[in-house]
Amino acid sequence: MTSLECKKVSMKFGALAAVQMVSFSLNSGEILGMIGPNGAGKTTLFNCVIGVYRPTSGKIYVNGIDVTGMKPHKVCRIGLAKTSQIMEPFTGMTVFENVLVGALHGGRMKMGPASYKTEQVIELVGLNEYAYKLSGSIPVPVRRRLELARAIATGANILLLDENMAGLNPHEIDEALEILKKIRDSGKSLIVVEHIMRVVMGISDRIIVLNYGSKIAEGLPEEVVNNEAVIKAYLGEKLSSLKVA
Amino acid sequence: MNYRIDRIILILFLMFTGAVAFVPYLVQSEYQLRVVTVVVLWVGIAGCWNMMSGYTGYIDFGPVVYFGIGSYVVAIAMTKYSVPFFPSLFLSGCISAFVAFLVGIPTLRLRGAYFAIATFAFAEAMKQITLEFDRTFNVSFFQGSDGITLPISNYENSFFFYCILPVTFLVVFTHYFIEHSKFGYALKAIKEAESAAEISGVNTTANKLVAYVMSAFFLGLFGAIEAYWITYITPSDVFNVQKTVQMVIMTLLGGMGTFLGPVVGATFLTLISETLGAQFVEYYLIMIGAIIIVAILIMPSGIIGGLKIRKKLRFI
Repeated sequence: MTSLECKKVSMKFGALAAVQMVSFSLNSGEILGMIGPNGAGKTTLFNCVIGVYRPTSGKIYVNGIDVTGMKPHKVCRIGLAKTSQIMEPFTGMTVFENVLVGALHGGRMKMGPASYKTEQVIELVGLNEYAYKLSGSIPVPVRRRLELARAIATGANILLLDENMAGLNPHEIDEALEILKKIRDSGKSLIVVEHIMRVVMGISDRIIVLNYGSKIAEGLPEEVVNNEAVIKAYLGEKLSSLKVA
Repeated sequence: MNYRIDRIILILFLMFTGAVAFVPYLVQSEYQLRVVTVVVLWVGIAGCWNMMSGYTGYIDFGPVVYFGIGSYVVAIAMTKYSVPFFPSLFLSGCISAFVAFLVGIPTLRLRGAYFAIATFAFAEAMKQITLEFDRTFNVSFFQGSDGITLPISNYENSFFFYCILPVTFLVVFTHYFIEHSKFGYALKAIKEAESAAEISGVNTTANKLVAYVMSAFFLGLFGAIEAYWITYITPSDVFNVQKTVQMVIMTLLGGMGTFLGPVVGATFLTLISETLGAQFVEYYLIMIGAIIIVAILIMPSGIIGGLKIRKKLRFI
């Protein structure tokens, strides 16, 4: 079943076409990797999908519902949550309360069930020891996980992770990958934007590649890394000659 | 979470309010009663500002407009249509809330300084409208700069004290409710990071609007009660920007976005200006200015906000 479908989405800022006629779909339970050089339009595409921008043209369907031009909080309640590249925790609140906001409002829950759900999500992403710390005082890798927890708590079945692993060391990345797999196994679909090829290759079921706002390739990880256009635009010669594990 | 401590604070607060209710029987002079009434009034008014701006971080620089609307509604209802006080009072709150609803829809889209400017401009505009309306349309409705004299009541000061106390109580209690509710978490999330709140499913527009309308409703009530108490209102008095500034300073002094911030800030500032005002008639404003500057420098997040204990007891 398709959880998310973008049909010929374009986003123009004046004369600049940040996203041009991009179509893709995400199946439920799937992890879709999205790669592309800086400025390729990945974040803009995400912002169109979650409703921060209204796309200039094209349609977006979440769980079969047309969400084109809907406000972000509605899109979130229909089932799509996002973690931002630029982290924005509610710094005056504890980690627990941050996640609670997602459960209360995104998940439209009452206080009691929302607290219960929050505890579960905190357990899932391994934030227990930080739960009652102020989110302004926790280190970056933990903040990344907090973003993830807040998105999961909304109950959305589709998660968009915009460079959720930037700035993590290899060990932390391994931990994060484990968490992502657990999330996928709990029945959610994910789109992962990442520059770290090890991450993208390691967990993606499929990969799409953007360049200058257009989709230049789509396919299985092995297909994509051997694609001429992708090598030219993004990977460079050396990496593509490596064997993919 | 500290639910047990919260309950204790709530019970202490209820007991304190209960004790305050006996003040009219304990005071030795009408002057003392008036001072206490003014303190309670300002706790409420500052609380209204805190309810909106303290929790959402949207700096409202024109809350006085709803105070003024409340005053004018009660004055016009009582003098022109001979409506009794309590129905007029209720009407004041409702009309203030309704105006806030209409004004809030466009202005709450603005962020930061733009919201402050828009609200400030609206308050000034209302003052001008009440001043010039009659002259422009050649009617006698707002009575311009002549002001309106309300029917003089036979009530004593204690009557007004008992009018103000329950409203203030409701305002502070609403803070307690905000601290513990889904709604409160929405407001705090908006304050911390509005776009993140939005993508986490918070309906930011609706929540901001509710806070704004609630705050306007209570301000309307306070405006109405004060108008009936003072019995004479003019546009430059009830729409005075000084009132806005006072709300802001009291809340900042006590601690923005805290349950007890406006209570502490308003009590502190009113009492200190009463004491100093009585002793140093000419210099007291300079002294208050100095006190405020020192207080803000030492405790940038306010008296309550700066308390270390607050990190443990999150809900004060």
